[in-house]
Order: sequence, then structure tokens, then C-alpha cells
Amino acid sequence: MSSHFSSVLQLTDLDDFITPSQECIKPVKIEKTQVGTGAKIKIQEDGGYVQVEEGGRERQLKKVEISLADCLACSGCITSAESVLISQQSQTELTRIFQETKSLHEAGQGDQAKLIIVSLSVQPILSLASYYQLPVDEAAQRLTGYFKQLGANMVVNMNIADDFALLENQVEFIERFRAAENKENGKLPMLTSSCPGWVCYAEKTHGQFILPYIAKTKSPQQIMGSLIKTYLSSQLKRSPNDIYHVTVMPCYDKKLEASRQDFFNEKLQSHDVDCVITGIELQSMLESSGLKLSEVDSASVDWPWSEKKPLDKEIWGHRGSPSGGYADHVFLHAAKELIGQDLSDVHYRTLRNPDFKEVILEKDGNVVLRFAIANGFRNIQNLVQKIKRKKCDYHFVEVMACPSGCINGGAQLRPENASAPKELIAKLETMYADLPALSPAENTMVKELYNHWLGGSTSDKKTAMLHTDYHAVEKMNTALNIKW
Amino acid sequence: MGFDDLENINPKLYRKCNDREVTTEEESDDIYDEFDAREIFDLIRGINDPEHPLTLEELNVVKQNDVCVDNKNNEIKVLFTPTIPHCSMATLIGLSIRVQLLRSLPPRFKICVQIYPGTHASEEAINKQLADKERVAAALENNDLIACINDCIVVD
Amino acid sequence: MHVCVSTFACLYYSLSNVSLGVYQPCLPRLHCVCVFVTRLKKKGEMGKLDLIQTLSGHEGRVWNVCWHPQGNTLASCGEDKTIRLWFKEGSKWVNKDILTEGHQRTIREVAWSSCGNYLASASFDATTGIWDKKGGQFDCISSLEGHENEVKSVAWSKSGQLLSTCSRDKSVWIWEVIEDEYECAAVLNAHTQDVKKVVWHPHLDILASASYDNTAKLFKEDVADNDWICIATLSSHTSTVWSLAFDHSGTRLATCSDDCTVKIWQEYLSNNSEGIVTPDNNPVWKCVCTLSGYHTRAIYDISWCHKTHLLATACGDDAIRIFKEAEDSEKHTPTFILLATCANAHTQDVNAVAWNPSVPGLLASASDDGEVKLWQYEDN
Repeated sequence: MSSHFSSVLQLTDLDDFITPSQECIKPVKIEKTQVGTGAKIKIQEDGGYVQVEEGGRERQLKKVEISLADCLACSGCITSAESVLISQQSQTELTRIFQETKSLHEAGQGDQAKLIIVSLSVQPILSLASYYQLPVDEAAQRLTGYFKQLGANMVVNMNIADDFALLENQVEFIERFRAAENKENGKLPMLTSSCPGWVCYAEKTHGQFILPYIAKTKSPQQIMGSLIKTYLSSQLKRSPNDIYHVTVMPCYDKKLEASRQDFFNEKLQSHDVDCVITGIELQSMLESSGLKLSEVDSASVDWPWSEKKPLDKEIWGHRGSPSGGYADHVFLHAAKELIGQDLSDVHYRTLRNPDFKEVILEKDGNVVLRFAIANGFRNIQNLVQKIKRKKCDYHFVEVMACPSGCINGGAQLRPENASAPKELIAKLETMYADLPALSPAENTMVKELYNHWLGGSTSDKKTAMLHTDYHAVEKMNTALNIKW
Repeated sequence: MGFDDLENINPKLYRKCNDREVTTEEESDDIYDEFDAREIFDLIRGINDPEHPLTLEELNVVKQNDVCVDNKNNEIKVLFTPTIPHCSMATLIGLSIRVQLLRSLPPRFKICVQIYPGTHASEEAINKQLADKERVAAALENNDLIACINDCIVVD
Repeated sequence: MHVCVSTFACLYYSLSNVSLGVYQPCLPRLHCVCVFVTRLKKKGEMGKLDLIQTLSGHEGRVWNVCWHPQGNTLASCGEDKTIRLWFKEGSKWVNKDILTEGHQRTIREVAWSSCGNYLASASFDATTGIWDKKGGQFDCISSLEGHENEVKSVAWSKSGQLLSTCSRDKSVWIWEVIEDEYECAAVLNAHTQDVKKVVWHPHLDILASASYDNTAKLFKEDVADNDWICIATLSSHTSTVWSLAFDHSGTRLATCSDDCTVKIWQEYLSNNSEGIVTPDNNPVWKCVCTLSGYHTRAIYDISWCHKTHLLATACGDDAIRIFKEAEDSEKHTPTFILLATCANAHTQDVNAVAWNPSVPGLLASASDDGEVKLWQYEDN
């Protein structure tokens, strides 16, 4: 089977030949409580392990489980076997939650049921719309209808989190640029942080060397997590762990992101995002219940925010790349803030390949801003090597692990005609460009939230809610774990 | 995370065999004697298991009967039996045996270390990896791995 | 202490498999069965390999040898992390240069660029070294990083504009050479295992790779978006494909494997007169000949001379063998004849063989016994 992780994570896939039973070894310290002999381990016919102690007493051995958090902490690999596991986990987990909630309601114990909130990102909606040949808004409505039918209490779009992410990237870039001008430690180029495949690769492979360059701003998925579990939960007077937050995303790497410790509230035992589901999984869920998205009853996407919806649409986009338009927004903002130029357009020049583009701003014959978009592993590789050799003169780079960016995420639906993946990407890009685009500054709800939820744009709360940290993963060198 | 079980926390133990009797002919430097299975077995029986403070002989992982020496063709084949069929240490044990033989025997020998047929879930894959001399060579340049192997090989 | 983590919910294991394995004594592998019709050899179908000189100097195993494109220098490399350059002085080959301090671990392979000005080295230290003779002496001018672990092979394209490397990380990389800068042009993850060898087509920008996954693959650039794609997968070997070599025309490929066979593959272009179907108009490579029954252990390397059309193999049974296509051979069902076997060519495994590009019949070999040997092939 093909992996639905980005190609970057596949490259770190060093499972070698070893079959799944041996795939992954997690060394643990075991406190030896008894020194006995004679106990044996038997394998039962169903594959279970039983320990037969002296005297014939049998004890069922627990199956060891590995979580995504363990994967993140391990310098080993992301294996294809795990990708199977993850996909199954998400679907069964989601079905379980929906059923649990349903039966609680049926038993008249609805007050004990979790509140299920689903956040929709734009790329999988486009993918589903294209696959089921629906207009984008209708696809969003039918998907909302599907989630409601399953038992979701609320379905919202993630545009608001996209807006926060863009604004925060703009602010962070200006800070870094000014710091670099004053020879302070503002690391340039600033590299975007919204792609978890890229962040994971950087943490595992380049560690402390590259991490300082990566923007501290959380990805839209995790900003949405903070928004739902902190702001919306208090609005709804529910505890964060009383809410089950599902996001609909374009790749599996987002599952790894959601399971990061940084996004887990230890005290409340609550993840900002509880479950990530992707386009292909939704398609398989629909198929397994004999449904087509185009036949599901529609429902409007919810808008639980106090300010008026900025556009009379279910979902919208942003100018620039279909990965979220980071380079565009930050470039325009920086041109205005730093250079005093009000630009209306951004013209990229394709470099070595279509996945590597740059845009520059000149003033008096000098290049004052140099931005780039680097998608796909080969371009990430060249970027990292250039930074290492101190030959990288970019100020800002939008980095995405997948070629063509998020619109081509690893878990987007595959074309029915397998030989036309490029045509499909081109179609999705056009669909994205045709979406109504909103400038983040126009979203009055975002302003409202900065003022009333975060207590201004410089508060500690803002940092806690919208920023994050990265951690270099130490290479594990216990011999028991070395793959050779 | 509940890691409360070691793969095989209390494996069955086996009695060690007696020391080999050295004949007067063997002690004589004038007589050219060939390698036999017992000599090869003696080289590897004292190797420690990576996770138990026990030798491969005590765990019945290696047996003299599963050693085959062909002096004419310079071939030595050792079959080993992992304690359980999903033992994740099997490759490391195989590598330790291989390294011990590579270090102890004249280079003319072609050494083959394999899983005893039918005793491991990933038998073919492990045999293929142990037979790949390039992979073995690369593994032996990994300091952490070689340190672990040396710990297994050193007989105290 | 360790715990084996199962990623599958059900670990089914049939206990009946455990009980009685049949002990097999160590015989030569018997699955090497000759598939040819043997026929009497004709004149010119026998030859011998004469040892010209033994080149000693490396400490430990020698992994690879490579002739300078003009044939006047031989580069060798190995476990001792050095590259040695051998030049001919009078009638003898002598070691003039030892290149050190390029790598931290074993140097697995060396490759001359077709212009002869550069040397590339692939190392287990995960880097690829580029050596240049600008200052009269070879210096390591770049170290290409990116592979996660051991680099197994490196090769320059005919034009010198492209370099390819492959690694145990299962990937094949294509590097573009732009004014002494090396940029990654593609990372190809087509193989499912360790990639052992990469070679370029003799004239075109087509790359061939051999892998532990038992296949060989061919790649070329998709001009539409400058990305490289796999255009053919050659499956027939039953174990690791260790090496491969194109013939002079680039329409045939020879692969050698751990399964003790050599296979000859023929290219069929779209609209071929043989009626072989070519999906997407990509050429199809078909196995037209299998040489089995000759080698008794893994075959580590193969070299196909573009002058004499002789095939040489390096084998784990310490022998070097020479093959040639029979004169009355049919193009689509060719017959190859064993011309010479040099048993005990080395005292241990032979790791590499390379035909000299200018002197017909001159062959270099490298072995685990620490030696490089030069041979001359003569027809009987």
C-alpha cells in the first residue's frame, strides 16, 4: 500500500526488511521483581501470549502498544505498518466516540456525553468536492450533514485559525527581520511551521541546527485546537476534556502533530485535537456505509463566533499558494511595514523546478526582500544544505513537505484515473484559486478574539495560545534499537 | 505506557555441556588437524544473550549438532534457535555469532549463520540480512552496535 | 531490556512450523540450475585470464576499483577509508597517491567523471565526496550530505552534469552539477529496500539501480516538471541484485545477484517489431537470458566491456568468470558462453571487476583479501 504520509516522513522510514512483528523496538527499563526460573511464554493459537508460571498458573500477557507520541519521541522511523495502524485507529476511534455518544443519549444520559466538534480545513473539502463532483460549498454542507448524522454537535470551518496563523507569521517575521538588522539573534530565513512533516523531519534529522529558523507560530490545526478547547469551551461552559475535537486534514502527518506533548493538557488530560481524519479515510467511511457524499443530507457549517461571518460562504480561502498563502501574506505585509511599499500583487519566478519559486522586492536597485516557496523533499534538502553552508540569502521560505504543497497532501483522495495525478493537482489548484479569498485583517472575529480572549497582541496568553516550541530528537543509540 | 513484560522474562534453562577433551594429537603442533563442529561450538557457546545474563548454550540457542563444518570447501554453517519466534533480538544474536566466528577463524572460511528452520517468524528476512556482508560490514562500523556485540561476545 | 512492539493486532503464528526443521548440511546452493542447452564450443569460445600484477597496499577489504576514462589510472577504495590511485610506470603499475581524510568510515565505491577531472566517493559515513585535481593534487572539494546512512554507490552521467547516489535509506538521489555546486534534483523512493548500485546509461540520461528488494529499476527525467520517474522495474531475480552494467549500446543490461545468477535484459522500444507491449510508450526491458549454474555464491559485481563486449563477474566463491555472447546467438533469445573461469582469483570474496576502457582485455579486480589484481584476458 502507498503511504499517506508526506514523502519526507517516508524517507525517514527505515523499517528495512523487518516485518511488522519486529518493526519497532522500544527499549524500556524493567524493574525485576522476581528472579525465578521455569516460567515459560506460550503463544496461543489466536496469537496471544500467555506466561505459564511454575505450578502451571497462566497469566495473559498484555500486548504492548505504541502511541504516536512514542513515534515522535523516537529517532527511528515512521513505518508503513504504523500508517496502516494509524488509519485504522482514527476511523475506529471516531466511530467508537460517535456510537458511545449516541448510546448515552439514547439511555437518557446525554449530559455525560462528550460534545463533538469537527473543524474543517479547506484542502480536503476541495479534494472531496472534486472526487464527488460537487460545488465546494455544497461539499462542505454535505460533509457537515454527514458528521451531524453521525452525531457531531458542531461543525466549523478552520478559516479563523488560518487567519490567526497568517497574522502571527507576519508579526513574527517583522520581529525577526528587525532583530537581524540590529544584529540581534533573529534567525533568518524564517521557515514556516505549518507543515508537520517538515517540522518532524527537521526535529529528527537536523535538530538544533535548523529549529531556530522555524516560525514559533502554531499551525492552523493547533491554533484551532486552542480556540476550541480554551475559548469555545469556556463560552459553552464545558470543560476542555468534555469536548471531543476532530479535525479534517489533508495528510496523516497532522495526526502526528496532534499527538505532540506540546498540545496536550496534562492537568485536564485533554488534547487540543483529539482525532485527525483525512479525505481518504472519510471516503472509505462513506463507502463502507454504502454512501456517496452527494447523497448525504446537507447542513450548514456552524458559525459559533460572536461577530458576523465575514463572507456568506461555508468555506473560503486566502490569496497565494493553496498551502495557506504564507509567502504571499508575509511578503505583502513586510513590503508595507518594512519598506513602505503597498503592493497589490506578488510575482513568483520559478527556479530549478515548479516546486521552488522565489519573489524579490527591490528598492533603489537593491534586493530588500527575498522570499521563496519550497515544496517537496528535494527542495527542502537544497534549502537545508544552503542554510548549513551559509549560502541561503532568503528572508522567508514557505516550506511544505509535499510537492505542490498541502493541496497535494498525502491523504487527499487519489484520482480515479491513476495516471493523471498532475491533472488532479492542477484542477485542485484552480479550485483553490477560484475560492473567495479573505484577507485575515478583514476578519473582525479575529480582532475581537485578540482583544477579549488573548488580552492584546503581546500578552503571555497570546504566546501560550498561538505559539509553540520544537525539540530536537536525540538519536537513540541503544544497540538494541539500531537498525543495520 | 504499560511495558510491564519482557519478551521472555523467564526462559527455560539448559545444562551446559562438559569441556572438550583435548587429545594429545591436537596438542602436538606437528599434526595438522582440521576444524570440527565441537571447536566451532566452543567458540560460540559462551556468547551472552543480549538481554539475559545467560549464554547462548544455556538458553539452547546454539547446539553442537547445529554446527556444520566442511573443511574441504572452507564452509561453516551455524544454525541458531531464538528462544521465542518473535524475538526481536534474533538479528543481534545472529550478528554476534557471525562476528565471533569472523574474528576467530581463518579468513578462508565462508561463514553462514542462519535461523534454525521454522523457529522464527521473520526467518527469511533475518537470514538474508545476516548473509549480506555489506550490511554486516556497515553494522560493524557502528560504535554503539559493536559495543553491544562485544559485551555479548566477551566471556567472563 | 527491550520489548517487542507489535504493530499488528493479531500476531498469528502457526506452532506447527516450529517443531521439526530439517537440518540441512552445508552444500553449495543447489538451486542454481543450468537453463541452457549446452553445445560444443567453437573456435574463439575459450580463453584464459592471466594475472599481470597484484596491487597491494590497502589495509583490509577492498570494495571497489574504477578505471580513469582514459584507462591510464586506476582508483581503488575500501575498508581502510582511503582511495588509492595507481599509475603505470614502464611495465608496472604503482601506487602514486593515497587520498585520505575524506571519509570517516568505509569507502564503498569510487567513480571517475567522464571528463576524468573529478572523482566521486561513496561512503558508509552517509556522505559522498567529490575530489578535484585543480591544485595538481586530488582534494576533497565537497561532501554531499543528505542520505540518512550508508551511501553504497555513486555514478556520473555521460555528460558530467548529473551525479547519482544510492543508500541503505532506500533512496536514489540525483544531483545536478552546476559550477562545482551540487544541488539535489530528485530523491527517488521507488525501491522498498537498501539500494546497492547505480549506473548511468552509456549515452543517455537514464539511470539504472539495483536493490536488496530483488529488483533493478530504470529512471529518467519527466521534462514536464523536472522530476525524475521510474520507467521500468526489472523483476526476476530471487534475491538481492548486487550490481548491473549496460552494454556499449545501452540497449542491453546485465544484472548479477545473490541468487547466483546473471540475467541479460533487452530493451524494447514502443512500436517494436516483436510486438512487445510498451505501456505509456516507455521502453520495456525483458529478461532474455539467465546464466545460472556457473556461480556457486553471491555475484557481487559485473562489468560489460564496451570494446570487446566481454562480461566479467566478481563472485563470493573467490572466482572471476568471463562470458561472451555466442557468435550465432539470436538477438531476442541470446546465448552467452562461459569463456574462462579463474577459480581462486583471490583468496577471499571478489567484490568488484572493471574492464579497462582503452586496453582490450585488461581487467581489474578487488577483493576481501585486501588486494587489487590486474588481469589480461586472451582468446585461446
